[in-house]
Amino acid sequence: MKTESFAPRKWLALSRLTNSAFLLPLLALVTALILGAIIIWVTSGSIGTVFDAFGGLIRGALFKERGLSESLIATVPYVFLSLAVAVGFKAGLFNIGVEGQFYMGAISAVFVGQLATGLPAIIHLPLTLLAGAAGGALWAAIPGYLKVRTGAHEVITTIMLNYVAFRFTELIISGPLRDIHSTAVQTTRVASSAEVWLLYEVPARLQDPLNAFAVALIAGFIAFLVSRTIRRRRERIAAAAPMVLSVGRGKPTRAPGILSRHSSLVTAIVAGVATGVLLPILTRLWWPFTDQYDRLHIGVLFAIAAAVAVWWLIGKTTIGFELRTVGANPNAAIYAGMSITKNVVLAMAISGALAGIAGTIEVLGVSICRCLPLFFSSGYGFDSIAISLLANNSPFGILGVAFLFGAMRNGADLMELSSGVSKYIISLMQALILLFVSAPPIIRWLYRIRTEQKGQRLGLPGSWGGKA
Amino acid sequence: MTLALQAAGITKRFPGVLANDKVDFDLARGEIHALLGENGAGKSTLMNILYGLYQPDEGQILVNGQPIAITNPHDAIAHGIGMVHQHFMLVPPLTVTENIMLGQESVLKASRALGQLALLDRRGAAQRIRELSQQYGLEVDPDATVRDLPVGAQQRVEIVKALYRAAEILILDEPTAVLTPQEADDLFVIMRGMVKTGKSIVFITHKLREVLAVADQISVMRGGKMVGHANPADATSESLAQLMVGRQVLLQIDKADPHPGQVVLKVSDISVRDDRQHMAVDGVSFEVRAGEVLGIAGVQGNGQTELAEAVTGLRHPVKGSMSILGHDSTHATPRHVIEAGAAHIPEDRQKHGLVLSFSVRDNLVLCTYYRSPFAHGVSINFPMLERNADDLIRMFDIRAPGSDTLVGTLSGGNQQKVIVARELARQVKLVIANQPTRGLDVGSIEFIHGRIIQARDKGAAVLLVSAELDEIMSLSDRIAVMYKGRILDIIDAKTASREQLGLLMAGVASRQ
Repeated sequence: MKTESFAPRKWLALSRLTNSAFLLPLLALVTALILGAIIIWVTSGSIGTVFDAFGGLIRGALFKERGLSESLIATVPYVFLSLAVAVGFKAGLFNIGVEGQFYMGAISAVFVGQLATGLPAIIHLPLTLLAGAAGGALWAAIPGYLKVRTGAHEVITTIMLNYVAFRFTELIISGPLRDIHSTAVQTTRVASSAEVWLLYEVPARLQDPLNAFAVALIAGFIAFLVSRTIRRRRERIAAAAPMVLSVGRGKPTRAPGILSRHSSLVTAIVAGVATGVLLPILTRLWWPFTDQYDRLHIGVLFAIAAAVAVWWLIGKTTIGFELRTVGANPNAAIYAGMSITKNVVLAMAISGALAGIAGTIEVLGVSICRCLPLFFSSGYGFDSIAISLLANNSPFGILGVAFLFGAMRNGADLMELSSGVSKYIISLMQALILLFVSAPPIIRWLYRIRTEQKGQRLGLPGSWGGKA
Repeated sequence: MTLALQAAGITKRFPGVLANDKVDFDLARGEIHALLGENGAGKSTLMNILYGLYQPDEGQILVNGQPIAITNPHDAIAHGIGMVHQHFMLVPPLTVTENIMLGQESVLKASRALGQLALLDRRGAAQRIRELSQQYGLEVDPDATVRDLPVGAQQRVEIVKALYRAAEILILDEPTAVLTPQEADDLFVIMRGMVKTGKSIVFITHKLREVLAVADQISVMRGGKMVGHANPADATSESLAQLMVGRQVLLQIDKADPHPGQVVLKVSDISVRDDRQHMAVDGVSFEVRAGEVLGIAGVQGNGQTELAEAVTGLRHPVKGSMSILGHDSTHATPRHVIEAGAAHIPEDRQKHGLVLSFSVRDNLVLCTYYRSPFAHGVSINFPMLERNADDLIRMFDIRAPGSDTLVGTLSGGNQQKVIVARELARQVKLVIANQPTRGLDVGSIEFIHGRIIQARDKGAAVLLVSAELDEIMSLSDRIAVMYKGRILDIIDAKTASREQLGLLMAGVASRQ
């Protein structure tokens, strides 16, 4: 039975791929780019400008010196903030307040980053990231709680709390946390131990045994997860085999030895020790990031880890199952014994934590003063809503789309320089993408695509007005 | 006998489905023609083609012997075809008159020069509505707001709306699904009156008793084909059911005598408020023992919904107490009730029972996803979910392409089977089944009834709430009749008669 159903199921998955979930966003993107090209052509009056502009955009985003690095730097906050939006969407919440949560995360991080000094990086950096996450989470939990208790719609409350967050951070920057030695209005610099490492600095940082130990721990943890996943999959096949083939039954099973019983742990320890010992040596011998003006930081790795974590949390855990149920049908969630209050507040808190981490990484790894200046951001938060929609709220889709947006943002300057086309054409194209993604009938009409299947809708939460 | 409507060789294909396969359908003038069939048999597709909502791939439609093209509902209305949908197409905040005028607004003559800004002739329209309602015995108040009307009255508004548009042929799609037995009988009288004046009616249903009571001619569809015609004089429920399902069907459930054990659910003098803060349940007491079915009968809206919600923890009583197996459950949450061993088949399967955008697999663990063996800590064990789904799909005969099929794409009967499978497959001590077979076809009803009795025989206490008297009478061991939030009487199902229950449902107490 299993083998029979395999082939059609695979075929089904393939046909679903060409269905709305993947096809529509792609067409939306292509259409927006084409329209952008037409607008450039019409406003400049020459088709050559179109090629200049797109050529400049691509060169600026990828091939210019440190172009790719700068694109990736812009991608990191996009990833975190889009994941934040996506977590909200999954729970049926439209979190427009990621920008505000980004600020609250940043200011919390600055607080912990400069107050706690003398700590080793292995403690200080995680602590600061945690503080940033907590700042964003608490800020986002407020509209969640208001929604459940009073019915106040989160779209309204999150937007309004954005302004409160902006003004609050300004107050803190110009008041209690202001760096009195600087002419610019900005906070004091965070301790070096709290900084997010630049990739250029990695060999030097690893010379500190404590840092090497931290990296070893992480490597061990990853090795443990990978090894356990592989082993579980193998066990599953072994467990399923007798059912399908009815062979191997009655075969005496070998008692597993201590090594194979704890094989994941062993793998983890080996990987950890190897990393901790070898990596500091190897990176001193050879390291690809030698340009000291390259600002690319290890936040890129954090972003990938965050995408994996969100994918796991939403798709593979009971927590995610509850969030998705509450988002898809709150009545059924109540019926099944889930708490709406808990899940709405939790979803907002997770969303806010991700946004807070985005702000934290910007302070600890990107901001030149490693501090929070008065005029800090960005508009990352608002673009992220578009990214999340375009990626259909899929964490790995977000990695790709965020890079696209990051690259466009970064390439815009060179595009303006080399073609004379205003860089704001990028914002226009992004707006067009958002328009097409949120109004799929336009795309369906343009490309004569048949109506989507029932139940396969865009990730937008159902209700705008009133209580969901 | 002249034919009012004729469909010849209608074929309609949807991607992967042959919904109608060379279907012929003749409707004589002045007859009530019942169209029988299970869910997915192609009845609705055929009617939607006649009403212009779908275009047939092949075949022809003739009205009064003339071939016509119906490309949209306007054409259908122009040819005198009117349809009353199962889900009403009314605008709740508007009045009856406004709803009926909608799309065919008549304006005051004097203001006609104003074009689009002309004034509506509400009074004239209301007058015509009154005439129509008198002529056919369709009691409607033209000035009432639709929102305030009970379901039965809303249905009458729909019928008047079709008549107002001069419909000669009326298609009634499952009209009795939302009615009480008494209201259904009233509707049949109205239908009889209409055909007497020369109208023709297509009556879509799957309730065999009603077909035999009211139809002049019966056509049966199965799997997209027209499989047979019958005359109500010669047909029996059994023969029709067999034609519909394609095999022998057990209409009367065969069940052994109950062996009531200990008290599982004890409800003492509870009162429950509804959403509008009215006292919907007013001092109700009863007990359900292990191994018996207590049926709660009553016309819909007499507090049964609120009672079931209180028992399952979805609503809290303002007075009284409840206990499950001796443990107080008066203020228990839904999860507490589930963990105490209760299964709940909710009244509204799409609102409460299922997450339509989730797969069959995920819906099957909606209440148990967090427990072993489906989860270790927070991590969900997907292979176990998969195996659970494959098993239940087989055991409960859920017709789905696979466990990853979205529940929203299944038919109503299969959606209900997903809920029944989820609730009854686990070890349960108490089953609360609220309208477990509403809107389902004969095959699914038979199946679900069998499962409920099976749960009873395995020692579960069953609280069955249903507005279908047949269902209550065939499943219950004891029957409690609710009227205006109170239980008027609890009687032994063996000695209960339709008449006696009907009187109690109408509020006439009959304590001997």
